[in-house]
Order: sequence, then C-alpha cells, then structure tokens
Amino acid sequence: MNETNYLINLEEIYKSFHKNNVLKGVSLKLDEHEVISIIGGNGAGKSTLMKILTGVYRADSGKVEIGGERIENYNPAIAHEKGVYLVPQEPLLFPNMTVEQNITFGFNKSKYEIREETKKLYEELGWGIDLTRLASSLTIAEQQQLEIIKGLLRKAKVLILDEPTSALTFSETKSLFEVIRKLKDTGVGIFYITHRLDEVFEISTHAVILRDGKVTLKGSIKDFTKDMLIGGLLPIGSESKHSNSFEKKYTGHMDRPPVLTVENISGDGFKDISFKVYQGEVVGLAGLVGAGRTEIAEAIYGITKCQKGRILLGDKDITQLGINETVSNGLSYIPEDRFLHGIFPISSVRNNITAQVVRRKGFFIDNKFEKEVTDKYIDRLRIKVTDHHQEIKSLSGGNQQKVVISRVLSTNPHLIIMDEPTRGIDAAARSDIYSIINKLKEVGFSILLISSDLEEIERISDRIYGIYRGKCNAYLGFEAVNAVNVMKAAFGTYEGSDSYVEI
Amino acid sequence: MLMLSKIPKWNLGLIFVLMLEIIIFGLINPRFWNISILLNSFNDFIGIAIIGFFVTLVMITGGIDISGGSIIGLTSVVIGILSQLIGLNIWISVILAIVAAGLCGLLNGILIAYGRVQAMVVTLGGLLLYSGIAIVLVGVSGVSAYEGISGFPGSFSNLAYGTVFGIPSSIILFIVLFIIAYVLLHFTKYGRYIFLTGINQHASDYAGINTKKVIASTYVLSGLSAGIAGTMLTSYLGSARADFGSEYLMSILTVVVLGGTLITGGKGGIIGTALASIIVGFLQVGMQMGGVSTQYIGLATGLLLIISVALLSISSSAKENMKKLLRPKFMKEGNV
Amino acid sequence: MSKFKTLMKKREFRTLFFLVGIFIIVGLINSDFLTIGTIQNSLKSSLLYIVLAVGLTVVLLTGNIDISVGGTLGLSAAVSGILLKNGGSIFVSIVVAILIGAIIGLINGLGVTKLKISSFIMTLGMLEITRVIQVIYTDGQWVENLPAGFKQLSQLNVLGFNLLLIIVMAGVIIVHLFLTRSRKGRYFSAIGDNVDGAILLGVPVQRYVTLAGLIFASQVGFISTTAGLGIEMTVIAAAVLGGVSLSGGVGTVLGATIGAVIMISINSALIYMKIPAFWNDAISGVLLITIVVTDAILSRRADKQTKKERLRARVLQEEVSINHAHAK
Repeated sequence: MNETNYLINLEEIYKSFHKNNVLKGVSLKLDEHEVISIIGGNGAGKSTLMKILTGVYRADSGKVEIGGERIENYNPAIAHEKGVYLVPQEPLLFPNMTVEQNITFGFNKSKYEIREETKKLYEELGWGIDLTRLASSLTIAEQQQLEIIKGLLRKAKVLILDEPTSALTFSETKSLFEVIRKLKDTGVGIFYITHRLDEVFEISTHAVILRDGKVTLKGSIKDFTKDMLIGGLLPIGSESKHSNSFEKKYTGHMDRPPVLTVENISGDGFKDISFKVYQGEVVGLAGLVGAGRTEIAEAIYGITKCQKGRILLGDKDITQLGINETVSNGLSYIPEDRFLHGIFPISSVRNNITAQVVRRKGFFIDNKFEKEVTDKYIDRLRIKVTDHHQEIKSLSGGNQQKVVISRVLSTNPHLIIMDEPTRGIDAAARSDIYSIINKLKEVGFSILLISSDLEEIERISDRIYGIYRGKCNAYLGFEAVNAVNVMKAAFGTYEGSDSYVEI
Repeated sequence: MLMLSKIPKWNLGLIFVLMLEIIIFGLINPRFWNISILLNSFNDFIGIAIIGFFVTLVMITGGIDISGGSIIGLTSVVIGILSQLIGLNIWISVILAIVAAGLCGLLNGILIAYGRVQAMVVTLGGLLLYSGIAIVLVGVSGVSAYEGISGFPGSFSNLAYGTVFGIPSSIILFIVLFIIAYVLLHFTKYGRYIFLTGINQHASDYAGINTKKVIASTYVLSGLSAGIAGTMLTSYLGSARADFGSEYLMSILTVVVLGGTLITGGKGGIIGTALASIIVGFLQVGMQMGGVSTQYIGLATGLLLIISVALLSISSSAKENMKKLLRPKFMKEGNV
Repeated sequence: MSKFKTLMKKREFRTLFFLVGIFIIVGLINSDFLTIGTIQNSLKSSLLYIVLAVGLTVVLLTGNIDISVGGTLGLSAAVSGILLKNGGSIFVSIVVAILIGAIIGLINGLGVTKLKISSFIMTLGMLEITRVIQVIYTDGQWVENLPAGFKQLSQLNVLGFNLLLIIVMAGVIIVHLFLTRSRKGRYFSAIGDNVDGAILLGVPVQRYVTLAGLIFASQVGFISTTAGLGIEMTVIAAAVLGGVSLSGGVGTVLGATIGAVIMISINSALIYMKIPAFWNDAISGVLLITIVVTDAILSRRADKQTKKERLRARVLQEEVSINHAHAK
C-alpha cells in the first residue's frame, strides 16, 4: 500500500511538558477500515497523543500527516476540516440546549440540510434521539451517539473514541460496537482508546500498546493474546522510573485484630467489596481510573453511603457515619483531587496544616499550639516554605501534598486513606512521599493506598486487592505482589488467586 | 495575625482615605472637627456598620445577604406592635423582635446551606418576604403606614441618645459589636472555619468541618445584627415603621466590599468593614455640613465602590491569569 | 399526552400554568377578574417589568447580573422628560434615552469584561452613581407636566390593543427568536452554560457580555417616566420566578415575561379577592422562595440520579463476565 493513502500517519512524535517527557518518539499509522485499539496504563501518554491528533497540543517534534498531506501548523480547526473527530469520554455538550441546537452549534449549514442528514445517519446507524430533547436529559450513551453524529455530519474520516464504554451498560456497549463495525465497513478509520482487554479483541483490527511515552507493541490483533498485551504494558527493569534501591519489609501485625474491616459493601460504582487492613501495613487498591476505587474510599470515609455491607474501624461500626463522625473516630483521607478537595489555596501553610487538628482545641484559636504543630511537620516532612504564612498555592505540588499529609497526620489517625498521593508531583517529591509512607507504617500507622500508577502501588503496598470494574477480583498477598500480577489484577485478568472464582 | 499580608495594606489605604476625608471636610467646615458632632453622627450609620460586620462573615463564606435592610423594618414593626399595641414590656419586645430577626436569618441560612439554593436568590426572596411581613403586620394592626407606631418610653429612646461615661451609646454599641465580630472571625475556631469554608468548601467538608452549619450560622448572625440595627434605628427615630432600613441594602454591601472583603469569599476582615463604614458615614456627615444634599452621597460611595473593587481585581487578575495559564495544563498532565 | 408531558417539563410552561392557575382561582372567587379588560390591564401594568425582565434575562444568561436597571431607567427617563418638557420632539427624546442606556450599559460591560469587576459590584456602584446624576440633573425636582402628546402614547390603541403592549410583545418575541434561533443569540446562553465549550468553539465571550449590557440598557431607555427606585429587586425576582437561573445559561425571555406578569398580577388579583394590597410583598416573597427552592431540590435530585446511573453502569455486569470467560 502506498504511504500517501494512510488516513493518519504520525512519525516520531515527541512531546514534553516542562521537564516531563510524555511522548518519546511515537509513530502510528491508521488506514481506512481499521480500528486500532490504543492501550496503556494511566500516564502512558494516551491522552496527550490524542490531543496531538486533534490539534489541541502541538508536538515538539515529529511529522503529522493526514490523508497523505503533511500538516505544519496543526490545530483543532484543521483537524475538523480534515475530518479528524474526537468523541470525548465525557462529552462536552451544552446541557441546556436541545439535541438539535447542540448539533448545529458552531456549524455553517442550514438547519434543514442538517436535519435531513441527521435523519439519514440515524437510519444507517439504527439510532433515534428526539432532536428536541434537552442535552441534559441524555444518557452518557446517547451523548456519545450525539458526539458521533456531530463528527459524521462534519464528514469525519477518523474517529477517536476515548474510553467510550467506561460509563455504558452492557447493551449500550453492544450497540456501540455494532456502530463501530458499520463505520469501519464504510471506510472510517477509528482509534479506540481503552483499558478493557476483552473489548480490544472484540472489535479492533489492530492493537497498539503505549507505555511511558513509547509504543512497545504494535500489530494485527490476530497475532496477539491477552498475556502478550499485558507483557507489553509491563516496564522493563531498567526503564522503571523509580530507583530500585528500596527494600520492602513487612511490618504489619496480622496477628492483631484488623484496624479496618470492610465486609461486602456495595454502592454506586462498586459491588461486594471485602477487605481488611491491619496495623502497620500498606494495603493497596489497584485498579485503573474509573474502576471504583475512589468510590469505595469515599464510602468508607463517609462522603457517600453504601447500600449494603458493613465497615468496621477497630470494632466500631462506621458504616452509616458522615465525615464528621468518621474523622472523630480516627479515619483520615487524602483526596485524589488536591486542588478541588485537598488544599485551601489562598490560605496560609499553617492554616492548611491545622485545619483538621483545631477541632480538638477549644473555642479560641491557640496560636502557640498551631505554631508548634506546623513547625513539627514542616521539620518532619521537610516541607519547603519561607514562613508559616505563605499561601499554599505558591508551593510546588509535592510540598502542597506534604502539607495535606501533615494535616492528616496531626490528628493521629488510626487509618489513613491515600487516594493518588503522588499525582502531579515531580520525581524527587515522589520519592520523599514514598519514604514518608514507609516511615509511617514502620511506626504503626495503617494505610489504605489507592493509585493508578501500578508501579507505585506495587512498590509500596504490602498487600494488594485488585479492583476491576467495581468488583474486587484479585487478592495479592505480600509474596504475590509483583509487577506482572499487579498489572493483571488491574486489567482484570489475574487468575492465580483462590479468592477469585472464575465463572 | 491576619490571613494575608494584603489585607493590612488595604486597611492602611482605608485609614489614609479616612484621614483625607476628615482633613478635607474640616477645611471646608471646621465644625466637622468637633469631636462630639463626629461621635454623635455614628447614629446615622450604625445600622449599616453593625449589619456590615456580620455580612462580612457571610461574604467570607462565599455567600451574600441582601435581606438585612428589610429585617430592620420587620424588627422595628415587631417592637412597635408588641410594646405599643399589645402592651408588652419594651425590653421584652426588643428581645422578641431580635429573636424574630434571628429566625429570619435562620430561614435564609437553612435554605442556602441545606437547600443549596443560591444565596442571592434566597435573600432576595427574604428581602421581599420580611419587608412584606412587616407591611402586613402594619396593615393588619391598622396603623398608618406613614406615621408608624410611636410613643415609646424614654428609657427606650435613651438607647440611641444616651451616653455611657460621656460616650454616646451608639459608639459603645459600635465598639462592642465590632469586638464581637472581630474576635469571632479572627480569634476563634468558628472564624477559622468561616475562612476555610469560603476558600474551599469541598476541602472543608473533606477535612471534617460541618460547612453547612458554619454557613447557616453566619446568616443567623447577620439576621441578629439586623435586628439590633432595627432596634437602634427605632429608638433613634422614635417610631416604628416597616420601610425603615429599605435604603440600607446598597450601603451595607458597599461597606463590606469597600472594606476589602472578596465577593467570591475566602478573604476579608472586620477592621476593613469598620473603617469603610466610618468612611461612608463621615462622607455623609461631611457632605451635609458642606451644604451638599445627602442625595449626592451615592455618587461618592458608588465611585468608591467601583474604584476599590477595580483596584482589588486588577492586582489579583494578574495572578489569576497566571494561574489560568498554568493550571489547566498541569491538571491535564496529571490525568494523562 | 406525551406532548403535554414534554411541555410540562419546560420551566416556562410550568410558570405559565401557575399564572393561569392564579387567574382561574381568583376568577372563581370574583368572576369580574376574568374579563378581557382586567387581563389587558394586568399586562399593561406589567409592561415596564416585562421589558426590564427580558433585558435582564439576556444578562443573566451570560452568568452576570445587572442591578443598575432602576438607576438607568430613572436617569434616562428624567433626561428625556426634561427634553420633552422644554419642547423637544418625542423622537429626539427617545433617541437620547436609548443613547443614555447604551452608554451606561457600555460602561458596565467594560467594567465587567476589561476591569474584571464582578458584575454585581459594578452595577451596584453604577446604580448609586446614576441615581445621583439623576438628582443632580433634575435638581432633585420631579419631572412633571410632560406634553400631553407624549402621555397619550401609552393610551394609544391599535385594533383594540394597546400600542405599547403590541410593541413590547413584539420585542419579547424578537428577542426570544434571536436568543433561540439565531447563532449569535445562542452564544448568549452558551456563555452562561459552559464557558469552556463556548471558548472551544471560538465564541468571543467578552464582546457579547458587553453587547448584553448594551441591549439591556437601551431597552430600559425607552420606557416613560417612572423613578425606578427599588425596581431592580422586583425585576430580578420576576426573572427568577420565570425560571431564569442567576448562575447563567438557563432560562428564556418568555419565562421572564410570564414571571413579570405574575409579579404584577398578584397585585390586581389581591384587589379582586378583596385582600388588602399590603399582602403583596409577603406573597411575592413566599412565592419566589417556594418556587426557587423546589426547583433547586428537583434539579439536584435529577443530577444525583444521573451520577448514580453512571457509576452503576461501570460495575461489571454478569453477562460481561460470562463473555469474559468465553473470550479466553
């Protein structure tokens, strides 16, 4: 086949943000009638690659060819013009406009024409959304359909589907796959981003594995097995972003009663989850973004309520308690989204550190006490600040996170839930936080760790529960924790455990 | 002591403006430099000031309360009806009226914090409702709406006109409420929670702070302060009318914002509000003495308001822009 | 029936139903209320509020607010009134009034977009300033003895309908069509709706926010001589009652119009029900709070439900695990 015939041809794409190299020479070709699955863990560079494909980001170096034509100053407008269309995971619709208004928004065509074309597309794809419905009333599947229609109306030749099935029900997924097959037959080329290996085999013609900004595996789906894909996702020893000088030692006390007992809890986004955390250990919940880990943590912490099951902290039942009570019972939580839920940006470092511990004190503010606490943690966690009254938003991500950890530690909790503790943090601060976690468990704190960074979770957890699509499907004891097993647990293909019964 | 080094700087500016004001008005009319006249003038704006103190708390949590003015009218009418028409003891009437004002604030607070309706909408409804209730009470009791209820005992008028150790009681009240608000906001756990809630309500929730209770309580305080203001105004003017305080709405917001409190919450202070209310109050007195109609005072306060906020936002918008440039990228990267 | 249901889902129809309900209930108590004359009178006395509420809706859709209406109204009315009194033509005075409105709107718009002052504060300051300018200009006097020809404007009838009523209604329909049908108009709601989305599609947000202020104030300008004191809160209440959200993006001018008519109809309804007029504010207040709180609770419940469904859909289903087993 002639090179110029490719719908998309990326060659040696490099992209970095600040000093963080996200893409390190990615080459990718897409032809008509192809569905290429792009698989990668969190942080592998998938989103960046998609943003380069749609012109949102510009590559630092490398060649972008669309329809055989080399494009120099690529941007979203050119992408639309050339028929490259992204269907985002959470579609960006105007919720208070009708379906039709959403379709026609920013589109230079008469309403009549659009309506006719939409009707035709509906017939071909076997859909039918009432054009007068408000976008806010659409289900996620319908919103995606709307996005796909928007793309097709703009004569898309390349569709990029970003984890489209993450919020779809089983039958919705089936019908989406039907559409993908139909589109493939008409000649549209599709990039299909996913975490779900089953889907890769079900609908794609090719698979590409992205790891740490590089393509590690690429080829026709017929040549692959699941294990090969998992293998492609695994880091090769020397490539690990962490130095391996770190020796893990089990310091837990499984002989004593558990600190946290979760018995068969179910709620929105998770089902039948059971696990235990003992004193002095780090228990990891391994899983991909959207697997339900954060929802489990939020239910334990009291932000949401579970519909069934029981949560015990020590021997106290905390199942139905709100945050206020769980906190006073000795639970603490380092939230996933530091900006939204973690820090008080325009407040001082001191007030951020003492935000939680002041509740223990009387009606009046005790400045001496606050100063002591702040000094203690700035010193202990080596937080870089100029003085106590510096606004926290002026600190680096790593130091901000240390402030949040200080806040939690100051209450001397029985159990600390850490949700993505190293997200958006540079390498040095990252290893600082790892050693903090390690010290904490040595002095007897119990930690429930949630992370999408599978290397991280493997490295610092003593025991791991795998969460895949809302269910706990794998258990790795201290001896079983290794890169391959963690990867398999997160992708839902781990079988070597007796706690998981295969149907 | 304060949350930010910036606020004292703002307060410094306010002190400068206040001094300038005193000097200029004094040059125009030396009577302005007569301390007793200045001190007595506090009666004219004490209502604005004391409501302003507690609306400051509301605004720091990220809310707004525009119902204060109409709670003044309601308090006034309740005092009048209870003491003059029903014949209750005047002080019992006053306490009941202030309790009623607190209940108005509680209703605002519950709807805003627990019903999660926008503060602006709820207090707008409150504005209509509370002055509406006052008008209904006046209408039902058959009092002339224009003359209002009068004939209060002398002890009640003393509230506004009396002195304690030679200091007008309105000044005493101003100072007492200033101290209460100041201590509450800057020296207590409750005040800390108000700031934290205003800066990031989600993070406060995650830190185990009962933000709903914090938010609702600030509206109760603001309602109570409006009740006290209503009592003072009734005493000062010697009659109870439903439309008392209706023109206070804009002035209250002006002093809070002019005092350096961020309308989006999280930043602010009582000292600023106090200074701003004195500035606005003296402006009124000075203009009157200079022979300018009080009607013109709006021009000055309006300009002050816009200029001060423009200054605040220009200095912060530079930072804001930096943040906008850096943050989305940073966040997206984190999600890659 | 399903058509009826979709209609009921639209906020402005619920408001309309409410309005009709008021008329029917009051009509049952006093049948005099249900004459064409009363209805037309209700409409006529709400004209001013309709125009203001419609203008305000355009601003509210962008997520901003304008509380300087009363001031703008008073000032432009005073200036044109004095012009008329001194023998100026009606046409010139209308042009001047619109010009004043446009200038104030432009200043507001520039303050909000360029100086980044919150629209609430900006228009609050502007309200005070315009009031004072009005006082200075009129020397604190009432503008009275306007030429008879000008006053007759509001009495003129065309085909049995009041001329101003026709003009205002035509205005409402044009603005409504502009906002819902034209591309530019839809940007207004898009700005309030989803700023990210709008920017993505290259909508020059700031220009339209300014334009909204312009449209708004110029509409205010051509209404006759009412002082406009305290009117701003009533107008905001009318818009909110009609389903316009103060946080932007939600609402229609039709809704706002109905809201304005409700606010005024309560007045006349009370008269016909022989309830003293002093109940008016209390009833409006209760109505406003009840409607808004109910709306907020309903929409939050719907939000929660969709979030729940999304999360539930993520959980591994039985069918999938069977399929999963087959795949191996």
